[in-house]
Amino acid sequence: MGRRWLVLCSLSLFLALMLPVTAYAHGADIEYTISSDVEITATYDTGTPMDGGQVTIYAPNDPANPWQTGTCDAEGKYSFTPDPEIPGVWDVQVRLAGHGDIVHIDVAGGSSNGGSYSALQIVLMSVCMAWGFAGTALYFMRKRSAK
Amino acid sequence: MRTGIMLLLLGLVAASLAMGSIGCGAATGTLQFYANGEDFVRQGFESKDGWDIDFDHIYVTLAEVKGYHTDPAYDAHEDGATINGKVTAALAGTHTVDLAAGGADADPILVGEVTDAKVAQYNAISWKMINATSGDANGYSLVIIGTATKGEDNVDFTIKVETEYAYYGGEFVGDVRLGVLEEGEAAELEMTFHFDHIFGDAETEADDELNTGAPGFQPFADLAVDEVLNINMAQIAADMDETAYGLLLDMLPTLGHVGEGHCHCEEI
Repeated sequence: MGRRWLVLCSLSLFLALMLPVTAYAHGADIEYTISSDVEITATYDTGTPMDGGQVTIYAPNDPANPWQTGTCDAEGKYSFTPDPEIPGVWDVQVRLAGHGDIVHIDVAGGSSNGGSYSALQIVLMSVCMAWGFAGTALYFMRKRSAK
Repeated sequence: MRTGIMLLLLGLVAASLAMGSIGCGAATGTLQFYANGEDFVRQGFESKDGWDIDFDHIYVTLAEVKGYHTDPAYDAHEDGATINGKVTAALAGTHTVDLAAGGADADPILVGEVTDAKVAQYNAISWKMINATSGDANGYSLVIIGTATKGEDNVDFTIKVETEYAYYGGEFVGDVRLGVLEEGEAAELEMTFHFDHIFGDAETEADDELNTGAPGFQPFADLAVDEVLNINMAQIAADMDETAYGLLLDMLPTLGHVGEGHCHCEEI
């Protein structure tokens, strides 16, 4: 009984940690909400639309490379649908004839890249997490052996 | 049981230490600071009032140059002189650079670099333009040297600015993304200077805000003696047409940009 409980708990924890947040059972409604369009309107300081403004969009997971590029319409508008699997701050830049600006759109409440992990740090974290799980497992195994 | 608890505690302690080292942000790279007068400076251009201007030297003296990672992103229009950097990389020293150095296709000028900058996305920058204390620009924050030609008229000019400014900019706006620093790599930040804001640009509509706000070159040409103009701000204040001088005072703080992005500027 105890062993079965331990296996079930471990499996649940594994699934909770490893499965993506997207829940297919909740289907289209949630997905549509997450992937609703973002529409921007780019104008000059005078209020004139940036007709033909060059749009460059950067996703939160790859700030160095454009995720999408495009062109504003005659009203300075441009629409895009952020990938719902990439939550965070999406950066949208519009440029035309020496004028330009960039806006930062928070999609699903993320934060921008304030520092990434080095390879050493990732290895160290992995080792420590494994160590913690091993310690927990040994604790339960020892407790079962003592019975 | 005691051994198991000890192992568990040791694991938690080690995990805490690992998280602590992440917080310290040990990963570093090289953050390079560039100054760019753009093609206007390198290739020359025609002012809004028809003067063909070529630049021999444009000396700017830069100090307290800093790059920042901000979150939420710094906004020059809303945040003014307050940049709340979660990560900061400061370039040591004062640097006088010639924005006109190199040929017509020269690269922007490398001002200096921070070799141990923390890995981050640097999305804000600040710098001061201060008076040089030695060299060709001694006593001035900005010295513009060149030749202007209009028809039969010619002016060899040296315009010296002794006013000092502090500029605060957000993310670089341009054809590439700057400031994303990865471990062991180099990333760039740029201080961009728009001299068409002073002289105007004949290739832009006459009623464009850029040209209506710029004094142009004619007010400077009017002060030349025997086709030579060597003047500083105190002399300009005394001798230049009042309206043109007012425009010049308005435009000097707008020189500093981040690519095409505007900066907040304060006179020091």
